[in-house]
Amino acid sequence: MNEELILQHGLTLDEFQVIRKYLNRDLSIEELGIFSAMWNEHCCYKTSKKWLKKLPTDNEIVIQGPGENAGVIDLKDNDGIAFKIESHNHPSYIEPFNGSATGVGGILRDIFTMGARPIATLDSIRFGLIETEKTKYLLNGVVHGIGHYGNCIGIPNIGGECEFESTYDFNNLVNAMAVGHVQKDKIFYSKPKSIGGLIVYIGSKTGKDGIHGASMASDVFSEEDEDEKRPSVQVGDPFMEKLLMEGCLELMSSGLIESMQDMGAAGITSSSVEMASKGNVGVHINLDKVPLRQPLSAYEILLSESQERMLAVIDKKNNHKVREILQKWQIDYEVIGEITDTKRVVFESNNKKVVDLPVEIIVDDAPEYDREFYIPRKRKNKDFDFSKIKLEDMIINLLTNLNYLDKSWVFDQYDSTVMGDTIREPGQSSGIVKIHGTQKVIGASTDCNPLYIRINPYEGMKYTVAESYRNLIACNINPLAITNNLNFASPLDPNIMGELVLSIHGLKTAAVKFNTPIVSGNVSLYNQTNEIPIKPTPVIGMVGSNMDLNKINTNKFCEIGNKILILGKQLTKNCSPYLLQDQKIAFNICEFNDLEVLDLDFEKKIANCVLELSDLKCIMSCNDISRGGIFSALLKMQYKNMGFRVKVPDPIDLFCEYSAGYVIEIRSKDFEEVTSFLTKKGAEYLEIGEIIKEGIEINSKKFDYFDIMNKYRNDFEKIIS
Amino acid sequence: MSFKSAVITFPGSNCDRDALCYLKDLTKGEVHNIWHEETSLPKVDLVILPGGFSFGDYLRSGAMASKSKIIDEVVKHANDNRYLLGICNGFQILTEIGLLEGALIRNKKLKFLGKNCFIKKKFKNNFNLSIKDNQILQIPIAHNEGNFYCDIETLNLLKNNEQIAFEYCKGEFSNTEENINGSIEAIAGITNKKKNVLGMMPHPERAYSDFHQSQDGRLIIESLIS
Repeated sequence: MNEELILQHGLTLDEFQVIRKYLNRDLSIEELGIFSAMWNEHCCYKTSKKWLKKLPTDNEIVIQGPGENAGVIDLKDNDGIAFKIESHNHPSYIEPFNGSATGVGGILRDIFTMGARPIATLDSIRFGLIETEKTKYLLNGVVHGIGHYGNCIGIPNIGGECEFESTYDFNNLVNAMAVGHVQKDKIFYSKPKSIGGLIVYIGSKTGKDGIHGASMASDVFSEEDEDEKRPSVQVGDPFMEKLLMEGCLELMSSGLIESMQDMGAAGITSSSVEMASKGNVGVHINLDKVPLRQPLSAYEILLSESQERMLAVIDKKNNHKVREILQKWQIDYEVIGEITDTKRVVFESNNKKVVDLPVEIIVDDAPEYDREFYIPRKRKNKDFDFSKIKLEDMIINLLTNLNYLDKSWVFDQYDSTVMGDTIREPGQSSGIVKIHGTQKVIGASTDCNPLYIRINPYEGMKYTVAESYRNLIACNINPLAITNNLNFASPLDPNIMGELVLSIHGLKTAAVKFNTPIVSGNVSLYNQTNEIPIKPTPVIGMVGSNMDLNKINTNKFCEIGNKILILGKQLTKNCSPYLLQDQKIAFNICEFNDLEVLDLDFEKKIANCVLELSDLKCIMSCNDISRGGIFSALLKMQYKNMGFRVKVPDPIDLFCEYSAGYVIEIRSKDFEEVTSFLTKKGAEYLEIGEIIKEGIEINSKKFDYFDIMNKYRNDFEKIIS
Repeated sequence: MSFKSAVITFPGSNCDRDALCYLKDLTKGEVHNIWHEETSLPKVDLVILPGGFSFGDYLRSGAMASKSKIIDEVVKHANDNRYLLGICNGFQILTEIGLLEGALIRNKKLKFLGKNCFIKKKFKNNFNLSIKDNQILQIPIAHNEGNFYCDIETLNLLKNNEQIAFEYCKGEFSNTEENINGSIEAIAGITNKKKNVLGMMPHPERAYSDFHQSQDGRLIIESLIS
């Protein structure tokens, strides 16, 4: 086999030699395709596996950790929650509408493959600077794509994040998360149960779209690639997915399915190999039986990433019943193979075995690398000059920065209330939906602080996990578990690899402390174009619950005259990275001081205070303090023309970041109770002011409420159009 | 005598479950779910054509669903002077069947709109009896094609016959425009001439439970039952 062909398939010559030696024969082109699909970063985590193994993945509520289509946690009674986040970064840069739409489609399939009905989606999207036309095009396309798919299939989009920063100019990030509800006794796994079970193909016909998508997702980009790679982007059809979802859920609840696997990245190859590997069995599939949209070669069928397709195993006796249900939903269905006891993956086409490989070599012998990594140098601390900065300018700096403005323009393109169980709408600190037919609610949040992580990957990651944690706590949601999406540049650069390794360590430390295991996740590497690496962006999706929907907090002001209290500890202004960056005090990444060490015990202590006060009904509204400090948190809380009057020693304090930071609104009559509670718990608090009508007042200086609120609410749309 | 109702499900409907819950919780009566391929409809007081993307909005929103087998029965039900309510995609289907005038075209800004909107009643009918004049209701919308359009003659007919049930308006503290999607005369919902068929873009079935942001959607069912 010639070297060029091997390299084109994304395998190194060393990797090829391993295969060649094991098989002791030449490979067919189809077999080469299979290794290309299964041994790339996207499918086998060859760079990250060593480090991911260190993450905590289990505790008393974990039903299913990483390794299945989605993680599942226990929500008492017979309720389980399945959730996962996944990236569709590269496709969304090449073709933003279809790239992001199929990202949503893929993650939803991961959820309903487990037998769970999706009940919410969230996303985390990042773009370059809005000044370029390209970013506007990407933003429009991505938001349209996410909305198009989720709205049509009818799953509420309950939140997420949207940020702009220059390192994403040529590498926008699209991470989509989905949450589903499953009955604990009806969870489906990809492991087949019996030898002789029929392998059935369910869903859309197979076409040429997405061939080599998974290996594309594991590649570094250059700008010229963009047009060339466009045919590798899949095209989604949310209507077909809706039918597929209803059809599959009906099959599962009727007990007609043994196991199921979504045909996602690397299509039929990956799903069938996974099935064989999980069950420690073999598969024999006849590719001539695969429903096709157009004439395709065996090689193309194996690698197609056409959307809205499932592979399932059923008992022979159920064949007729399965066909009947799927006919009702107008879904293609074909028996294409059988589970065997050979522990081999066999594909035949035109009466010829085109692939005949032991499962072992594809899965167990997949490469695993221990790449070189550097630990960032210790930073020297210095004092910045804040003498020239004025309060008015600080406010203007926030109100002219897209990252601080109200993002209704984005959320309004998503249906957030379909299914009738949405409690909070997007734009609040976490999205909340009710478990249908119960009083239980699920809250979820997606977060990342790339700037923090670039400064100090270990501490920065702790802050990122803590931010998700605070987002849930602020709503009186108990954080339960995590899904993560590690977006990084090329791991072949030891500096980038160092960020990956250290941030995983930070994730581990925080997850252990908060008892929030990582139950599912995804890794997206090589996010760099023209040698410009993205900032390290390991996104966290955290899920939590409250058993009583009446106990959750709002993030919005409730009543004029109520007092505003601050909990937590302010980071010093010299160590508040977003303050320094967004107030234009520090420009270059090397200028920043090191992060203050985040005290996770302190985070937990303050969080418990917020939860307890919430249960005592002492908290009228609450928001966490993150980028933009107290001021930004207060802006987000304004509601029905209610503003705030505050007094602080130094106005810059209002813009500093926090550890364990929360703004809470309390009634005057509860002031004694709340403050003595906090004092008893040893939690310091700061009373900074009160809620007033139609005003913003800082240290007796009055600002035009409507001017600020108009900018905050409406300027996002002005800037991006 | 208990109030009986039914919800039709088309492939791609995604508010059928919401509509069923809405009816069960508020009417306390019998509620049927009818698959689009069925050819008979139980005798009920109210039929809802729910929101969603029936048949993936292929061709035109509502166009394919208007040719479904069950539609003959739905038309008979309406001709029998019983209540028929089309919500969102259901409204689009009603205009495609021809039970309601006009058409729903793309929103003025050519973007999907999923947010709270505010409406008030225009002319009285049995669907809005319990709503006071000038009472502002907060109800979510979620549509891409909700911009009501008709020619001037039709508009005059709708006015003269008092067929306009709801119009969009501004909420007390809302930041949204008065006419949220650009509909002609801010029309949010219309009835047929006999006023037993209502089509509306806002989703009352997402605004009735205690945990919803608003409970104003109850008023429509309360009006019908009273």
